[in-house]
Amino acid sequence: MANVELGEDTTTRIESPATADLLVAIAAPVNVEQLRATASDTIRAMSPRSTNEVDPSISGLRAAVAFPADVAPPTHGSDGAVVLDPAGSGVEIRFIPLAESGVSAIPWLGTPATYEAIFQAARGLGVKACAVVASDLASFRPDLLQTLLAPVLEKGADLAMPVYPAGKLDGLLNASILSPVARALYGKKIRYPLALDFGISARLLQEIQPARRAAAQGSSLFWPVTEAVLRNRTICQTGLEVKHPVGDALDASTVLTQTVGPLFAEMESNASFWQRVRGSQTVEMVKALPAAATTNAASVDIRPMLETFQLGSRNLQEMWGLVLPPVTLLELKRLTRMPAEQFRMPDELWVRIIYDFALAYRLRTLSRSHLLGALTPLYLGWVASHVMEVSKMRDKEAEQRVERLARAYEDGKPYLLSRWRWPDRFNP
Amino acid sequence: MWNQVLQSLQGSMSRVVSRIAMLLPGILALVVAVLVFLAIGWLLAAMTRVILTALRLDERLARGTEAIAEWTPHYTPTVLITRIVFWGMILLGFLVGLEALGASSADNAVPARLLAYLPHVVGAIVLLVLGNIIARFLSRSVLIGAVNMNLQYARLLSQGVKWLVLVLTIAMVLDHLSIGAAIVDMAFGILFGGIVLALALAVGLGSRELVSRSLEREATRSNVEHMPEEKLRHF
Repeated sequence: MANVELGEDTTTRIESPATADLLVAIAAPVNVEQLRATASDTIRAMSPRSTNEVDPSISGLRAAVAFPADVAPPTHGSDGAVVLDPAGSGVEIRFIPLAESGVSAIPWLGTPATYEAIFQAARGLGVKACAVVASDLASFRPDLLQTLLAPVLEKGADLAMPVYPAGKLDGLLNASILSPVARALYGKKIRYPLALDFGISARLLQEIQPARRAAAQGSSLFWPVTEAVLRNRTICQTGLEVKHPVGDALDASTVLTQTVGPLFAEMESNASFWQRVRGSQTVEMVKALPAAATTNAASVDIRPMLETFQLGSRNLQEMWGLVLPPVTLLELKRLTRMPAEQFRMPDELWVRIIYDFALAYRLRTLSRSHLLGALTPLYLGWVASHVMEVSKMRDKEAEQRVERLARAYEDGKPYLLSRWRWPDRFNP
Repeated sequence: MWNQVLQSLQGSMSRVVSRIAMLLPGILALVVAVLVFLAIGWLLAAMTRVILTALRLDERLARGTEAIAEWTPHYTPTVLITRIVFWGMILLGFLVGLEALGASSADNAVPARLLAYLPHVVGAIVLLVLGNIIARFLSRSVLIGAVNMNLQYARLLSQGVKWLVLVLTIAMVLDHLSIGAAIVDMAFGILFGGIVLALALAVGLGSRELVSRSLEREATRSNVEHMPEEKLRHF
């Protein structure tokens, strides 16, 4: 769990009288030297004197860069932050190191306390907009910053969420659980609710306190979309042509546990809101989605995933039986007897499984770490089924397939509502 | 002769009846003590629940750690503490009652021994309950972890862990009750040593090739990773 209190260092640093027009923040641990070089290049490119063509809405702005740092770098400015004028470009860039506020279980995502420190810094600087970029700095480029900030600065959006160029086999956890559940709950068709990059307006960041909220609901992640939806703020999406090399270091079970757990925790704390939401609305797409390279799904070996699913079905019946109703268990049994080439997990079944696990998370039917661990074989079963299904499809068709699943989540919401409100009612 | 037998029988009968009669106030005191402490326990538990709810203990603990919820998912910390207070008071009432029983008895050697032994019994019960909880938790953790690692012998591994913890618990319980201490220690040592030796032999001899293949695979992993194979991305 992230620490709620901000470090004294951070508070001192961000209570400086200096101002900036925009803040670019990194929420996860970052290589400081690389950050300095990248920021310097980016700001130089954004300068009006630069030969690069950059949108005038962000060129020439006074920028600040906030990043988590365990040790504060030597200070040059009177206010404690490092001030840099890259190559005499006339553009000022201020580096604001934020005191270390814990490490997230998902290393590429920041803790709510880090986001809190970032937003506090942004409020202190009086920025017009803030862009949070991933710690690999792949999106710390003038064109991509413009993509994130232009909707906020020009179109008046409060939150600009990215749409990454994903292949058929990218972001499977996002496509199978995170995005469709968030969409069914909060009624907004957001492709990446837990994105690494996003742009946020001064108005919205005035209102949110991620650390306090995360502490109140027992969540270890910050969900910007939920914050915006709960406050009825304008959200838009924008195509961000960048791929972050995340997820390779952690296994599926860890990623699942660390992301789906906080999603269920959010669900519990926002129950009074999402129970009133019906259907979903399309969110404006400011910039078209870039086309992704076609992935050859046939080269993915699904046997280990199917084996894990079947192994889970043989060994985890006791735990699944505490969470899932008999009809779901029966369908899972039927699935395990299917030949590998015919293995398909129906959308309705998958949706009911996720909703039942969300309910079990709320009711603490099992220890939560066990509950999310017991979900992993089911998720791998879904992945195997999905890979086989989309292997012959083109990217566009695969996208439509994901959309069909998202609609199944919406269609299954009455089931969730009924189970949520009357968990003790007989459910065959 | 017959009169002597009758006298002897009447004498023993009157001694037993008088001893029972002497014990009766003690038994009554035991019942009264348990009932009084039951009422006090109920009152204290209600007060504890009100205070902890006002202090929002569950919310505060949920912020810091999930540890308590992980081990007892069905009960919130407030409910747990309330129940501990309640059952603690009943136990105290029982001890007070036993003391009264001992005091009221003329020959108090048996109740005194019973009283001295009672903490051992309580300790053994606590050990047994804790051992069971730990065994179940660890067995589930191992089972889930092994299934997610795609280990075919997941069930075996989980059962092994469960019985290891249970055997250890039973040995500790028997030791705590001072029942066959030396035999239990020896049996446990032999059993535990035997399991470790069997595992060492199994890995050392039976799985020699498996281990060498695994090490080989680790050594050549860097080459394999450069193969141009399409990968899944979960996040």
